[in-house]
Amino acid sequence: MNMLEIKDLHVAVDGKEILKGLSLTVNAGEVHAIMGPNGSGKSTLSYVLAGRAGYEITSGSVTYNGEDLNALAPEERAAKGVFLAMQYPVEIPGVTTMTFLKTALNAQRRARGESDLDALNVLKRVREKAGTLKVSEEMLKRALNVGFSGGEKKRLEILQMALFEPKLAILDETDSGLDIDALKLVAEGVNTLRSPERAMLVITHYQRLLNYIVPDRVHVLSAGRIIREGGKELAHELEAKGYEQIVKDAA
Amino acid sequence: MNAALSRLDARRAEAAEQFRTLGVPHRRVEAWKYSDLRAVTDAEAISKAGSAQWTIKHGSEGVEFVDLSGGSLPDWVRTHLGTLKSDSALGAASFAFAHSGFALRVPRGKPGEVRVSFASAGQARVLIVLEECASLNYVETVPSDLEGLQNIGMEIRVGDNAHFTHARTALASAKAVQISDIAGTVARNGSYRLYSGAFGAELSRLELKLSLDGEGAEAHLAGVGVLADGTHSDVTTHIVHAAGNTQSTQLFKNVAGGKSRAIYQGKITVAKGANGSDSRQTAKALLLGPRAEADLKPELEIFADDVKCAHGAAVGDLDVDSLFYLRARGIPEAEARNLLIRAFLEEAVEEIANDDIRAALWQAVEDALPRAMESHP
Repeated sequence: MNMLEIKDLHVAVDGKEILKGLSLTVNAGEVHAIMGPNGSGKSTLSYVLAGRAGYEITSGSVTYNGEDLNALAPEERAAKGVFLAMQYPVEIPGVTTMTFLKTALNAQRRARGESDLDALNVLKRVREKAGTLKVSEEMLKRALNVGFSGGEKKRLEILQMALFEPKLAILDETDSGLDIDALKLVAEGVNTLRSPERAMLVITHYQRLLNYIVPDRVHVLSAGRIIREGGKELAHELEAKGYEQIVKDAA
Repeated sequence: MNAALSRLDARRAEAAEQFRTLGVPHRRVEAWKYSDLRAVTDAEAISKAGSAQWTIKHGSEGVEFVDLSGGSLPDWVRTHLGTLKSDSALGAASFAFAHSGFALRVPRGKPGEVRVSFASAGQARVLIVLEECASLNYVETVPSDLEGLQNIGMEIRVGDNAHFTHARTALASAKAVQISDIAGTVARNGSYRLYSGAFGAELSRLELKLSLDGEGAEAHLAGVGVLADGTHSDVTTHIVHAAGNTQSTQLFKNVAGGKSRAIYQGKITVAKGANGSDSRQTAKALLLGPRAEADLKPELEIFADDVKCAHGAAVGDLDVDSLFYLRARGIPEAEARNLLIRAFLEEAVEEIANDDIRAALWQAVEDALPRAMESHP
């Protein structure tokens, strides 16, 4: 069974169709890159998979491990192993990062019928992952994402991915706003999470990130549809030719 | 002594006259626009409200305590009682008509700790004097089973380098009209801190007029309000920066559920010559349903040149991006809402330095939230 199967997906936002017949299949153990210019529907795809309100599926289907993903609330998807590393992680004053991590981890565990972990146990797990991602104790004590730099926010997203151990991880423009050192650090974090049981969907505008997270398949998204597919070399072709040429070639 | 007593009587007669002239405030009186007192009571009911019952614990040595319903009053009480006036007719009424109440004095350099509960309807008058370098933790509670009209008037005199912490929790009483009227003055390098928890009544009004009269005086006011269906809470503050280099902050957060109404009116006056004054005001309200209402009204009146004044007010619903973020990380919607509401309120509680006071106020918030979050069609 495929882990993720998207068939002829049409999605509208505020009555305007953004995805216009997108099909995509992702299996466990695979890393797929979705590349596309601004406005092609990349973020819409990530939000639809995570279950954000206001993204209406007008036709087509999204199946996750054989289950209709659209029938699940965002929190149910998370508990079943869907994780979206967001392009713009939100700042939440008044909730410390550590409290948030513990609340989220235990909510997911509870939904799966597992027992809650106590604060010490959560802290131990967080610390195990925090070191390599350079997430400091001080960051964990601060309010979630408040006053964090762009790099710190993205590192914390990857820390969550490591902590929650999702089956399907979607990375939405995780490279945006990062300098090269931060990008390498984040990519390393992602690479250590590659495993035969886990699938990843790496959404990006630039080929740069894919030098560090090398995908098995590359899909080019334009105007709400996949117009080209290929191996990792397609990313290099895109970088050399630009989106405009690829779109023309496909037409 | 007779002369002093008669001066007190004269002040009392003056207050009665002031109440008669001003009358019971109603919504066409600008300062009472959002709290129509005349719709729930009248002048006769106020003047004949009788005595509010109170209980007090003042364990600390050195705190002088005087029951105002007793016969002879010491000189310091006769000198001060009724001399600090708020802008409100209700402040005048509590002085003119209350036969109940108490006065407290913390002598020079002493610390004090006092717990007070105003447990019944009626009126009471409170006078508090902090001498130079004294400090007082004043913990005040209005219980949840209050019914009828309660009008408490307070006068606070904070001396040079003295520090007053006022923690006030007014629990929800849907059958009460609860008015607290505070007039205060803070002398050189003294401070007044208010931590307020207002959980609403049929009509509830906390009105504070505080004058920073000495150079370097400070006032820091923080408050939370959590309102369930059918309740009202009005917090109205007026800080007067009368001397130079005075500082004030006001931070008020309200959560309004059901059909409830949360009000914060914050006036700041910086007098001529009060240069180097600094004031910051933030008022925010979260509306949990379509029938909840919040009215936030900042007001600045500046007559000095070299001053810093900043204020901001915002009313809204929970942030949809935050809610989605938490849910996408596995936190169910109800729990995510809960977390965000608590986070919103916490800012106004977290800075309370005293652990017991902070914990008690937070507990009151926790107790009030489930009812405020009940959904009403």
